[in-house]
Amino acid sequence: MSTESAADGSLDHDAPVVLVVDDEANVAEAYALWLPDEYEVRTATNGEQALDAADEDVDVVLLDRHMPDLSGDEVLDRLRERGLDCRVAMVTAVDPDFDIAEMPFDTYLTKPVDQEEIQDTVENLLGLSSFGDQSRQFFAVSRKIAALEDEKRASQLEDSDTYQQLVERRDELDSELDDVVGEMDDDDLEAAFRDL
Amino acid sequence: MSTDIEPAGVVEDGSFFRTLVEHGSDAIISIDADSTILFANRSVERVFGYEPAELVGEPLTTVMPERFQGAHHAAIAEYIETGERTLDWNGIELPGEHKDGHEVQLSITFEEHQYEGKRVFSGIMRDITDRVERERKLERQNEQLERFAGILSHDLRDPLNTARAQVALAKNADDPTEYLDELEHIHQRMGDLIEDVLTLTKQGHTVGEPEPVSPATVAEEAWQTVGGSAATLRVEEVGVVQADRERLLSLFENLLGNAVRHAGDDVTVEVGPLSAGDGFYVADDGPGIPEADRANVFDYGFTTDDGGTGFGLNIVESIADAHGWKVDVTDSEAGGARFEFSGVRRSENGDTE
Repeated sequence: MSTESAADGSLDHDAPVVLVVDDEANVAEAYALWLPDEYEVRTATNGEQALDAADEDVDVVLLDRHMPDLSGDEVLDRLRERGLDCRVAMVTAVDPDFDIAEMPFDTYLTKPVDQEEIQDTVENLLGLSSFGDQSRQFFAVSRKIAALEDEKRASQLEDSDTYQQLVERRDELDSELDDVVGEMDDDDLEAAFRDL
Repeated sequence: MSTDIEPAGVVEDGSFFRTLVEHGSDAIISIDADSTILFANRSVERVFGYEPAELVGEPLTTVMPERFQGAHHAAIAEYIETGERTLDWNGIELPGEHKDGHEVQLSITFEEHQYEGKRVFSGIMRDITDRVERERKLERQNEQLERFAGILSHDLRDPLNTARAQVALAKNADDPTEYLDELEHIHQRMGDLIEDVLTLTKQGHTVGEPEPVSPATVAEEAWQTVGGSAATLRVEEVGVVQADRERLLSLFENLLGNAVRHAGDDVTVEVGPLSAGDGFYVADDGPGIPEADRANVFDYGFTTDDGGTGFGLNIVESIADAHGWKVDVTDSEAGGARFEFSGVRRSENGDTE
């Protein structure tokens, strides 16, 4: 585990904290390198390290799924068990299956990823923090639908109850959000949802 | 077919039609309203294995798999009562049951006519077993290709992601050599993966015309490609067997390459005949394959080594399968891995080309 911080070693309390987890050290290091300097970036190269590095200060986690010993899926469950409500992006070469519907992450990136994707994802997830729970749910459900639509054939989607339920949930959240959207700043909303 | 219209062409008497019906390649069975067989032509023997005379007077269900019998009775009862056809009368695909119990895939066309004041129903049946089997084989191949695509995309995504990371780090480093070396290694691995998948998909699970081949000679040839300077290959004469030479070479390249990779540069690999005389073995003096892994080593993508593509032993198995050989994994005398290929057909004339 390592922490990159401001040059004088002190941490800016307002700086967003990102935890990067990948069992390939060079990959974790590259993601860290891609993120803006003003972020505090912590890296971990296995599940145990990730759990040690996670705390209330962490805003966003980039989490590999396929890791030896403690998998990313298990790390995610343990984070939620500990009541940590950080935004989580799964960053993985594992093709998404319908089981992702139940997993408590916010977005799903399929490797290979590049700098722009990593930056935009973290920025979007940080932006989400200023919105209410419903918006965050809407974002997460929309990202799951997008991940499944990328991976699965139309016929498989059609046959999947899980997928249909996700779509229903998204539409519900969408119409609930329409009612409150007037209260929010349109630009902020657009920024947070531009990848949808 | 209506009977009050004169048939086109010159027809002298009823024997013309009799011959046509008797010798047509399609099986024809006619039944009465109670599903009792009134007539069966000669071709029923080829399709169902019964002499026509064996069937006449028997219920139609004799040539029908049990699970369709209820539906048949219901359909014919419905038709007689209401005139409603519950299934397609033209080219419907249904299985029949052969005398020896196996199912025959049929394309059936139904006809109805009156004979001596009674309603007669006829089925004209074409054996389409070959086509149905081809279709099933294609379906299986499609499923396999889909699996391949999944494995391939997954297995290339990971190294591609790592490669991007190396580039990012190299750009940022004072001395990028370390990252570039790693990048080279990753590209090598991706290239190997593509080669392996191509080998599997192009050649599939088939072999060319087998020819007399000496496995010992082919193993030595493969060793030229994959053996290291510190490694040793010991070959005992195996004799001459029937095999596709190119694919046997590919089998040895994968197996011997695997031994060098897992057992170390100074490995000693032995190729020799099985004591039962029906095949050959490839054994090494490396760490061996743990009992728990033996069931999985032939699976797509199984690897315990970062440099491996996980396809090597799968290629070995598909080549053995295609030849009709059985392959087993066990311990070698030196505690390493031993692969045994049995059921190998020896060449009769004993000479290689």
